Amino acid sequence: MAGLVSAQMVLASGPNFPTINDFLPPEILFQGTPFALNRIVLIRLIMTVVILLVLGITTMRAKLIPGRWQGAVEWMLGFVRNNIVYEVMGERRGKRYVPMITTMFMTIFLFNLCEVIPGANIAATATIAMPLVFAFWTFFQYWIAAAREQGLGKYLRHELIPKGVPLPVLIIVLPMQLLDVLVVRPVSLMVRLFANMLAGYFILELCLAAAQYFLVNVTDKLMMPLGGFMLIAALVMTLFESFVAALQAFIFATLSTVYINLSYPEEA
Amino acid sequence: MTLAQTGGIKLFLPQTYDIIWSFIILVVIALFFYKFMLPRFQKIFDERASKIEGGISKAKVAQEEADAAKKKFEDQLKSARVDASKIRDDARAEASHIIADARSRAETEAAQITANAQRSIESQQQQALVSLKSEVGALATSLAGKILGTRLQDDSVQSSMLDSMIDELGQDKDKAA
Repeated sequence: MAGLVSAQMVLASGPNFPTINDFLPPEILFQGTPFALNRIVLIRLIMTVVILLVLGITTMRAKLIPGRWQGAVEWMLGFVRNNIVYEVMGERRGKRYVPMITTMFMTIFLFNLCEVIPGANIAATATIAMPLVFAFWTFFQYWIAAAREQGLGKYLRHELIPKGVPLPVLIIVLPMQLLDVLVVRPVSLMVRLFANMLAGYFILELCLAAAQYFLVNVTDKLMMPLGGFMLIAALVMTLFESFVAALQAFIFATLSTVYINLSYPEEA
Repeated sequence: MTLAQTGGIKLFLPQTYDIIWSFIILVVIALFFYKFMLPRFQKIFDERASKIEGGISKAKVAQEEADAAKKKFEDQLKSARVDASKIRDDARAEASHIIADARSRAETEAAQITANAQRSIESQQQQALVSLKSEVGALATSLAGKILGTRLQDDSVQSSMLDSMIDELGQDKDKAA
């Protein structure tokens, strides 16, 4: 937002619409080193500190009889455990993955939420690197699970050669399936999350930029209703993006669980 | 600016520093969840579950104790009732016993009194008989003397004599009484 306002002063000719350059912010600290920081990474770091502080204090103070806040946090943990992990994998298999999926869900959700937090205004998951790291975690986990639970050969045979597929079709199916387990699964996870955050940012910032332009920068009174409409649209989109933040976290966590579950042999 | 101008593909080409930071952040948060938050909360969940189970079993024990106490109380009440009716019966029996006792004692005493009276009457009669016998003897002796002394010539003499004798007899009896 700060960047938007300063650019506004320079241009001052039209609405300050968001561009994809907002997702490629310049390095502002430690430039040129492997630990360079840009705006989005900084948001990510601040959010991490906030998460660790808030949840850390909640955990330290956690009591046997929960208060309202602790109850809400416990509800979240219970939701991930029961409605995502145990729902997909069952309790016996799922127990091992509860911490992983909880980490994923909570982090992605809270990072996504930065999109509607004033001052940040962009999701902390809104550079490809963060979804990439998460997607790779899932990728490694389901390969490790496959090797451990049934051996890679058996897993690949099962995944690549679906039962009942005739040989000519198999020629097409086999590479597709291989592409699926090697590339499509992690990349789809990554791109889905990133693109959602990208699109959400554009819509929200468009509404806000238009509202700013028509209500403040343009002196024409006739444009005021349009500006008002855009402001209301921005409010609605803010609520919608909060929902999307949770939804995308849920989808990411659920699909990761599903992919890991696919690595297990079918229930006897 | 369009996608082509800025090179939209750049969006999908992660910067090295971005990956490094993302990785560090993920590791830190994952460690936090794996090693700290979730174990702590799991401990609390387990503790809570055991507390609730303990509470339920405790309530069950308390219920059982209450039932036992109630049963004991009812038993006591029942035995108390039995005792009371037994005591009442005993008392009634005792009372009738006492009454019967008193009656028999009264009867005995009455009989004794009657017997005593009988005895004294008998002894008095005996006495009277004895004294009468001796007096009749004496009278007979004196009467015989008189008969021998005065001649019994007619009936008038004879009857006057008998009258005087009976008078004497009555006077003697009065004296004796």
